Amino acid sequence: MAGSNEINLSECKRIVPLNTWILISNFKLSYNLLRRPDGTFNRDLAEFLERKVPANTIPVDGVFSFDIVEKSTNLLNRVYRSAPENEAQWGIIELEKPLSTEVVVPVIVFFHGGSFTHSSANSAIYDTFCRRLVKLCKVVVVSVNYRRSPEHRYPCAYDDSWSALKWVSSRPWLQSGKESNVHIYLAGDSSGGNIAHHVAVRAAKSGLKVLGNILLHPMFGGQKRTESEKRLDGKYFVTLQDRDWYWRAYLPEEENRDHPACNIFGPRGESLEGLDFPKSLVVVAGFDLIQDWQLAYVEGLGRAGHDVKLLYLKQATIGFYFLPNNDHFYTLMEEIKKFVNSNCL
Amino acid sequence: MLYLLLKADRKTMKREHQETANHPLTGGGGGGGGEGCSSRSKTWKEDQGDGGMDELLEGLGYKVKSSDMADVAQKLEQLEMAIGTFQEGQISHLFCETVHYNPSDIYGWVDSMLSELNPSQTFDPNGSFYPIRNSILGQQPSMNSSARNSLIYDDNSEYDLSVIPGFALKMPSEWTFDLQREGTSKRMKHDAPQISTSPVNSAAKLRSLPEATRPLLMVDSEEAGVRLVHILMACAEAVQNEDLKLADALVMQIRLLAVSQAGAMRKVAIYFAEAIARRIHKIYPQQSSIDSFYSDTLQMHFYETCPYLQFAHFTANHAILEAFSDAPRVHVIDFSMSLGMQWPALMQALALRPGGPPAFRLTGIGPPQPDNTDALEQVGWKLAQLAGTIGVEFHYRGFVCDSLADLEPSMLDIRPSAMETLAVNSICELHRLLARQGAIDKVLSNLKVMKPKIVTIVEQEAKHNGPVFLDRFNEALHYYSTLFDSLDGCWLTQSNSQDLAMSEVYLGRQICNVVACEGPERVERHETLAQWRERMESSGFDPVHLGSNAFKQASMLLDIFSGGDGYRVEENNGCLMLGWHSRPLIATSAWRIASR
Repeated sequence: MAGSNEINLSECKRIVPLNTWILISNFKLSYNLLRRPDGTFNRDLAEFLERKVPANTIPVDGVFSFDIVEKSTNLLNRVYRSAPENEAQWGIIELEKPLSTEVVVPVIVFFHGGSFTHSSANSAIYDTFCRRLVKLCKVVVVSVNYRRSPEHRYPCAYDDSWSALKWVSSRPWLQSGKESNVHIYLAGDSSGGNIAHHVAVRAAKSGLKVLGNILLHPMFGGQKRTESEKRLDGKYFVTLQDRDWYWRAYLPEEENRDHPACNIFGPRGESLEGLDFPKSLVVVAGFDLIQDWQLAYVEGLGRAGHDVKLLYLKQATIGFYFLPNNDHFYTLMEEIKKFVNSNCL
Repeated sequence: MLYLLLKADRKTMKREHQETANHPLTGGGGGGGGEGCSSRSKTWKEDQGDGGMDELLEGLGYKVKSSDMADVAQKLEQLEMAIGTFQEGQISHLFCETVHYNPSDIYGWVDSMLSELNPSQTFDPNGSFYPIRNSILGQQPSMNSSARNSLIYDDNSEYDLSVIPGFALKMPSEWTFDLQREGTSKRMKHDAPQISTSPVNSAAKLRSLPEATRPLLMVDSEEAGVRLVHILMACAEAVQNEDLKLADALVMQIRLLAVSQAGAMRKVAIYFAEAIARRIHKIYPQQSSIDSFYSDTLQMHFYETCPYLQFAHFTANHAILEAFSDAPRVHVIDFSMSLGMQWPALMQALALRPGGPPAFRLTGIGPPQPDNTDALEQVGWKLAQLAGTIGVEFHYRGFVCDSLADLEPSMLDIRPSAMETLAVNSICELHRLLARQGAIDKVLSNLKVMKPKIVTIVEQEAKHNGPVFLDRFNEALHYYSTLFDSLDGCWLTQSNSQDLAMSEVYLGRQICNVVACEGPERVERHETLAQWRERMESSGFDPVHLGSNAFKQASMLLDIFSGGDGYRVEENNGCLMLGWHSRPLIATSAWRIASR
């Protein structure tokens, strides 16, 4: 057993750059310390270990950020924008004017990953990712600090994120274009991708216009064990056992993975036919063990008559987008840029 | 030369990625060969950041030397193998008593866990590695994880530094106390010229200064208040440009507009407007001896209202207790004695020490008092009474001085370290020294003469000492807005509104000093943890890291404070910070003399 473990580790190291390997292995290791078999979570140690960064109104590499606490939910949203051309304007937050009256500026509402349990909007990995999104895709990003499991189970993450979406859509200073609308896209990685889907459903039912969904190896699952799960279990940083733990921590107690939050097009999934659901960009990493569920999701969306594009990155592991040291990162950014700017011509 | 070439190559490659839609390796839908990907990663030489750190990881909060990368990877693999034999569910138990330190240093962190699993392994003296201490008394870690029957994790700390609500005022016991007061017969006059910049650190700079960051946290009900912020900033700019007429006019506008605001923004605007008005008309608040008594009172109200000072005391005490370990005689020199609110909790913890309390000597330093009242002596008496009731041998001495730089180590009766363990404590005091040329350097070199086992420093996490007025103003505006926001939550639940009102006055006085004053009068010269770290390290001090146990207990402390579930403790390279939501506001660090 130890021998095959060794092979896996070395193989994994060949697939990703060394610093990415160190980064994700470090997460894996620390996360293993935090999850307890009885389903509880060592939140204090998790917060101690997490690397966080403050917002910064002084632009770094052309992007600045600031935090706003939503009074009604006491939750934080971090806003990322391109720095104004005029240096004299740096550090001054403009909340009295829209983003632009001429051009459309897409606003991506971003839900960070962490399997519903880890990370925050001000985690260094996500702060950095959102900054890169702004810079490379020419968007504004609002990152949502939703409440996490196991302390706050389903549907807290969806409720908080829906609340944030409504808040974003009602900010005059996030409007753009000649018609003064907030041009919204939803995006998320892992659990954030799952959240993006469910929030998009709520938005569609409520008549709130979402222009597109970007799901970055979204977290889906089901009771059945798929082929990819069996084949890739424990091979590239992620194990089935940890996936199971996170679902048990998020879903209502006594529930299983066929719960509609988890298994979108499963036996208990709700039909999306006829719903004004946004177009989707679904990114699947070739070494992600839950890819069969993600591919099933793509198929399901297609069958329900919705526009979906699959970006399958064969040699990618989870978290490939945390560091800009591989092709997949740049491919991803290109695709996102095309996806959010295709409407705005 | 070769390195620079590789760097340029990477940038060119990046640009190409951005420009071409179909990358030769991945095409439109991925599917590049594994080999292609890995060979590319080999040719991409990562940029070397400061101190040879991997720049990309540094951006994510991790400090790994580029030269250590392979070693770190190997250690991670080793650790993986070592714990691989355990069931996944048992891993959390394997390290359940471990105290973690400085997670940014992946090398040290992984190494410490490897050593925990295999105690025969020697520690690496090179990295910023700290031996695992599972309890403050340095007991051996329990390796017998199978002894743990219950699946439920039970976290008891040896030291429960819960806040003691007040002094126990009883008749003095049979314990003798030693009370002396050093007179102020020698007031040292300072002929330092008027300066408005922070004195340059004469020691060689080892690292470049931290990047400019200005965090902003606002509450969405204050969106309308942003206009007020703009006018305040414009007003400060007018002052910076010496257009005092314009500044005056803007102050009037601010006052008018502030009336229509609610909550924190209104109060903050009014304090800042007043401070600017004072600056313009040169009506500086008088620094009199009455001030210090009033300051102490205000500080006490602030202490009661919100957790910042309690966090400061708690975390500093934690570090002091760890440093004291089981020393039989200990001495604390408190640069920030004030009403002595930090010490009952420490004394209580010492009293509960397994093996019995040490003999505890406390030297309190404070500013001159009005009317010959000796506040320091009175505080000493109260603490002596408490010591009596809890059975701690206690000696106290108070020193009055205008400036910490006036103190000489010889005045303080420092005993040899073999006989008595010394801790020096400073809560929001050191920044005052930055107002006079050479003062901080003098105090730091005095510290080295005193040879403390530990120096605990708490400071406001803010950049209020830059050379440019406008920058200081903007930083202060953001900082105090966040502070007032955190107090705002208290209005809903706090029954004692006087505490809140006094807290606001306390903060208002700081604002006034930062904005209106200059030269030696401007004492609220707050600097960030990064700046203090730089200063301490280049003055010959090494960090003593605060760990996950201190973090956890500090977090628990916050639960006591109602009306504020926005408080957050954060770990930062071995130090702890307390903030409101995502904005750190106060930072605790601990130091010892460098072993070089």
